[in-house]
Amino acid sequence: MDKKTLIIDHFECWGCKACEVACKQENNAPDGIKLIEIVEDGPRMAGEQPFFEYHVRVCRHCEDPPCVAECPVAAITRRSDHMVILDTAECTGCEACIDACPYDAISFDEANGVARKCNMCSSRVNQGLIPACADNICLARCIQFTSTFDST
Amino acid sequence: MTEFMQSNIEREMAVYGYDSLVKSHCRMCHGGCGVLIYLKDKKIAKIAGDPDCPINHGSLCSKGLASAQMAYHPDRLTFPVKRIGAKGSGRWARISWDEALDTIAERILDYKSRFGAESIVMGYGTGRENEAAIYRFANLLGSPNVLTAGHFCYGPRIATSIITCGTNPIVDYEHHPKCIMVWGNNVVISNPDCYKGEPFSNSVKKGAKLIAVDPRLTRIAARSEIWLPLRPGTDAALALGMLHVIITEKLYDHEFVENHVFGWDAFKERVRQYPLDKVEEITWVPSEKIAAAARLFATTKPAAIQWGVAIEQQITCADNDRLLMALMGLTGNIDVPGGQVLFQPPKVRNVGQFGAHRMLTDVQRDKRLGGDRFRMADNFAIINPKCVWDAILEEKPYPVKMLFFISSNPVITRANAREVYRALEKVEFMAVADFFITPTAELADIVLPAATWLEMDYIGDYWKRHGYILPRRKAIQVGECRSDHEMLNDLGRRVGQEAHWWENFEQALDWILEPMNITWQEFKKMDYLRGDVVSQKYKARGFSTPTRKFELYATVLETWGYDPLPRFREPPESPYSTPELCEEFPYILITGRRQPGFFHTENRQVPWLRELHRDPVVEIHPDAAGKEGIEEGQWVYIESPRGRIRQRAKYFSGMDPRIVSAEHGWWFPEKNIPGRGWDESNINILTDNRYETCDPAMGATSVRTLLCRIYPVSESEVSHG
Repeated sequence: MDKKTLIIDHFECWGCKACEVACKQENNAPDGIKLIEIVEDGPRMAGEQPFFEYHVRVCRHCEDPPCVAECPVAAITRRSDHMVILDTAECTGCEACIDACPYDAISFDEANGVARKCNMCSSRVNQGLIPACADNICLARCIQFTSTFDST
Repeated sequence: MTEFMQSNIEREMAVYGYDSLVKSHCRMCHGGCGVLIYLKDKKIAKIAGDPDCPINHGSLCSKGLASAQMAYHPDRLTFPVKRIGAKGSGRWARISWDEALDTIAERILDYKSRFGAESIVMGYGTGRENEAAIYRFANLLGSPNVLTAGHFCYGPRIATSIITCGTNPIVDYEHHPKCIMVWGNNVVISNPDCYKGEPFSNSVKKGAKLIAVDPRLTRIAARSEIWLPLRPGTDAALALGMLHVIITEKLYDHEFVENHVFGWDAFKERVRQYPLDKVEEITWVPSEKIAAAARLFATTKPAAIQWGVAIEQQITCADNDRLLMALMGLTGNIDVPGGQVLFQPPKVRNVGQFGAHRMLTDVQRDKRLGGDRFRMADNFAIINPKCVWDAILEEKPYPVKMLFFISSNPVITRANAREVYRALEKVEFMAVADFFITPTAELADIVLPAATWLEMDYIGDYWKRHGYILPRRKAIQVGECRSDHEMLNDLGRRVGQEAHWWENFEQALDWILEPMNITWQEFKKMDYLRGDVVSQKYKARGFSTPTRKFELYATVLETWGYDPLPRFREPPESPYSTPELCEEFPYILITGRRQPGFFHTENRQVPWLRELHRDPVVEIHPDAAGKEGIEEGQWVYIESPRGRIRQRAKYFSGMDPRIVSAEHGWWFPEKNIPGRGWDESNINILTDNRYETCDPAMGATSVRTLLCRIYPVSESEVSHG
């Protein structure tokens, strides 16, 4: 099984937020729920240099995901292709995963009483397409999707 | 490892069961990007960037991606309406297109016969690729009065570049400048005019060194080799300081100066009046930084200046543009690959010809509002907005009886908004064409439902100066909405202009394309047309100016009675020009910081875009906020001598603590009350439009730099607000 990865170059991000809307168009997450979000870092001084960057906040699809470990009902699973999938049909809304995520990448969908996060557009990837945010919308191409042969 | 840039289009179609794909050309801003529109059951199911488009190479901004949400918005006006209650009452009755156009035509003919065609003012906002049709209609009618953003947006670049070097020099990102000086511009967010963020970003990735001129620390500024955080409104002084270094240290292109420049000695003498110590005092930028930037820009080849609107919305407008062109020219970067190219359009009938400017008689032309005061604007068929408000309110120099605004929301976008509102309340008849009932449309007598870019055939980027035109292909029909061009074509035929319009607008597109020997149907099958790209054309034929030279000394400005050499003018409100006012209003207010998703007053009702940015935000330095007792996220009043508004405070340490930075374009479509909150957070409640505060040649209103005070909105006001 090929390992699926989102590679994000935060340094290159200009903060245009096209990825946020591309994600909405694909996943139609409810108002206020952002499966991907551009956040600001700075402005501040980094030594003598003024510093200001944007960061892309999105599920990292961790190798050893704390959210999977914490979920009491196994609603989050790590697939053999390394995509970490949250199944909202199984989610009970306990929010344990939200507390567990070190990247602040899981949101609580109040309207539906479930946790929501980026599933790396699994329905697209399953069909041989690439995730919406990585699909050549970014002006800096700072989000790339890769599929690597996994020898392990 | 397999890296994917984009999905396969056939696969995308198959997986989602889309019925068809229309390639088109977005116009959620001024136009520009190639798009793929996927359709299912004749409705738009998905929008993506077109990887084959030479403008955006498949990338697409938030606005373009959300276009369908705008087109199918439940609040969209989808049929013509007439007002049946008082102005602003929000009471409307549905009417047919025939009744709407007949009523407008009747009014036009009546006012024309009683008060002259000049009593009818046509208007549009920022460039939406309808300007050629609007000018055509006005010129054929005999009205010299077309009210646009042209006095303080892009019009100045067109006017000043024509008098300096013949056309607007456009950064040639295709050949990757090695140094880019980004001057008052955030191209990656705003994608302005002839530019998109994507090609800029590509050149940065290729290693272009950046210089940023901006009072704020943008991401571009943070990535720059040199950031020059100038005092707002002092761009001209900064440019003169850089020129001082370039001339003193002989870093200029000697061949270009000797052979292709007009007015060198006089220009040198003017620049001599701006030594760096003086420039540092004016701009608050240390002189060694200015010198370093000047040296980097002048010695890196090719180099370019990414410029934009911010430098034009000041009392020094035309001269700012001219000084930046002087920097481009003297460093030998005009019309060279990777520099700033004077691109040639494809050989179609151009916007000037379509605009039928020659059909306006001299007698009518001489009646252009403000023409005697703002003579450069007048020569480019541009008027200052206050001239129109005065003509309505004071009936001087003659009464304006009718306004017809197409894609314009002047109660939000024009300086001194309360005066604008009074004028629109008073004007006898107003027609508006728009997507929604905006605060401006609320004051209209008839509102026409305008088509979005998804609903029209047109020649995209027809007005731009980057040398491309691209087909915009109609993908859907929404209600009875019609394109601005179609409605004007039909209105023109109703007011005696039938000889100059067409049976349908497709024939107009054929007429534009005719010199290329192609029809619209043939162009529709093409990806784009591009004019010939030739470098340094001036070596063979000179520049298209009266002296055939690059005019540092503008001979036509002299003819019109202006200083032919550029200079710095202190902003009309500043710690130096109005020190007593500064005691009461101690902060320099800068306005119009761009946000992803919005385009001036647009898109506040589009959910995916409003979600990016919910509230109007004013940035304040934490030190200043501490002094004023302002907490992060709190609603605050921003007050100028003209009035006060509120926006939400955000701490931002990337600027001088004496500056606060507010947003423009705000109204609240979600507020179901008359006016839709048009004056609550609208920056133009604060701005000034007195003639003496405008650029003397161009009539640009000085909306970017003023003085303000800022203080918290009390808890009780927040809850009742």
